[in-house]
Amino acid sequence: MSLNYQYFPVSRPSEGGGGKTGNWRIVRPLVDLNKCIGCKACYLWCPENTIIPSDGKVTINYEYCKGCGVCSNVCPVKAISMVNEL
Amino acid sequence: MMSKVISGNEAVALGVKLSRVKVIAIYPITPQTYIIEELAAMRDKGELDAEVIRVESEHSAMAAIYGAASTGVRVYTATASQGLLYMHEMVWWVAGSRIPIVMTVGTRAVGAPWNIWNEHTDFMSERDSGWIMTFASTPQEALDLTLQAFRISEDERVFLPMMVGMDGFILSHTKTRVYIPSQEDVDEFLPPRKQPYTLDPEDPVDIGNMFQPIDYMKFRHSIHLAMLHSIDVIKEVGKEYEKKVIPIGSYSTLNDSYKLDDAEYAIVSMGAWSLDVMQVVDELRKEGIKIGLYRIRYVRPWDEEDIKKKLGDKQGILVLDRSVSFGRGGHLYLELKSTLPEANIKGVVTGLGGVSIGKDMILPLTRKFIEGNTNNEWFYPSEVEKVELRNPRYIK
Ligand code: SF4
Ligand code: SF4
Repeated sequence: MSLNYQYFPVSRPSEGGGGKTGNWRIVRPLVDLNKCIGCKACYLWCPENTIIPSDGKVTINYEYCKGCGVCSNVCPVKAISMVNEL
Repeated sequence: MMSKVISGNEAVALGVKLSRVKVIAIYPITPQTYIIEELAAMRDKGELDAEVIRVESEHSAMAAIYGAASTGVRVYTATASQGLLYMHEMVWWVAGSRIPIVMTVGTRAVGAPWNIWNEHTDFMSERDSGWIMTFASTPQEALDLTLQAFRISEDERVFLPMMVGMDGFILSHTKTRVYIPSQEDVDEFLPPRKQPYTLDPEDPVDIGNMFQPIDYMKFRHSIHLAMLHSIDVIKEVGKEYEKKVIPIGSYSTLNDSYKLDDAEYAIVSMGAWSLDVMQVVDELRKEGIKIGLYRIRYVRPWDEEDIKKKLGDKQGILVLDRSVSFGRGGHLYLELKSTLPEANIKGVVTGLGGVSIGKDMILPLTRKFIEGNTNNEWFYPSEVEKVELRNPRYIK
């Protein structure tokens, strides 16, 4: 019997699930790499999966970043500040 | 296989143990408390190798086993009445996430006013949630259906949770002879659980995430189709159970019937009082009245085809309901009426809140129906006592 009627509601982490951000973001996260200790908390929490750990630090893909500030809030060493877009 | 004189609650607890359940969430509510007490005692004695989680509410009970089941283990809980209503939200989450779970509902009236006795309204109010819903009529059937529920729920054509209803007190607390299968037979019947995805750090997935409208609708449709496909699975599992586990039941069909083939009239009922109806059928048959019983065992899926086949040609159908949708009528009556819109169907709501209805009451009720004097009605077996009823008063 074909099982193709069966669907399951799961999703996998993927970059920019909410689509490209365009120009409506008003603040952006800025990582102070001197302070960053590479704990990856921001990477785990970013709802858009736009933070990429590399070389023990992190970089942010601003094409998808929505500027929600979650990363800045969870960073244990306050390495991420939210700065005005313009 | 051996047999013992035990209550419905004990029978269910034994069924759960034989199913090799790994996580059980326990929260007491009358009349199912005895089941989880039995399971806790079994664990205490080392007979049951399962985690028993003492939760702080029924909502948490369902949430706890939902989480555990998402990792791929077999889980169980039981509830009733206000408890089922309290977990209502989680009941929908489980079905929507397509997580197989088995739960017993020891049916009971819903307050207010406070009432701990039997009624089916709690159970019936979950019929749109996406759970497979079956209802036992004896402690034996409660055990049999519990074992079958794990197989059905975990079948790849289904992957839906399943609740097994059982009349509070009437079945949960009454002791009768119950056949108990051996662990070997159950192990052969019930293979280890599989599911299409599990929570696994090696392969992370998010269950129940936000979905766009069209995807959401597709998932809802898939639940509907899985429910329809489960009809075949239920029959298959039932037949295998009959053959390999306990060779005395009759599980090759979803619903059961008694002296129905040549009957002109039919009574439709669900649960323990169906055995009283069987006696009524015997009695009326002695008088030459051709009548039979159609016993609903599965509320969901609803076996429309079988109902049309078995009841479509009957001159009159009397539906006994132990639950009610206010302003509309008994739930089974409404379901039957929508399946057979042309048929002569009458519905009687009775037995709510533990009102005791036996053969001696169903017999005159049925006579009246055959004489053509029954409209859709509520039946009270005795005088209603007024405790205190106030007239409306208006505050100036
Ligand atoms: S601001 Fe929000 S979206 Fe942007 S990187 Fe931080 S957590 Fe991700
Ligand atoms: S949370 Fe802060 S410290 Fe940790 S990786 Fe991100 S920026 Fe660096």
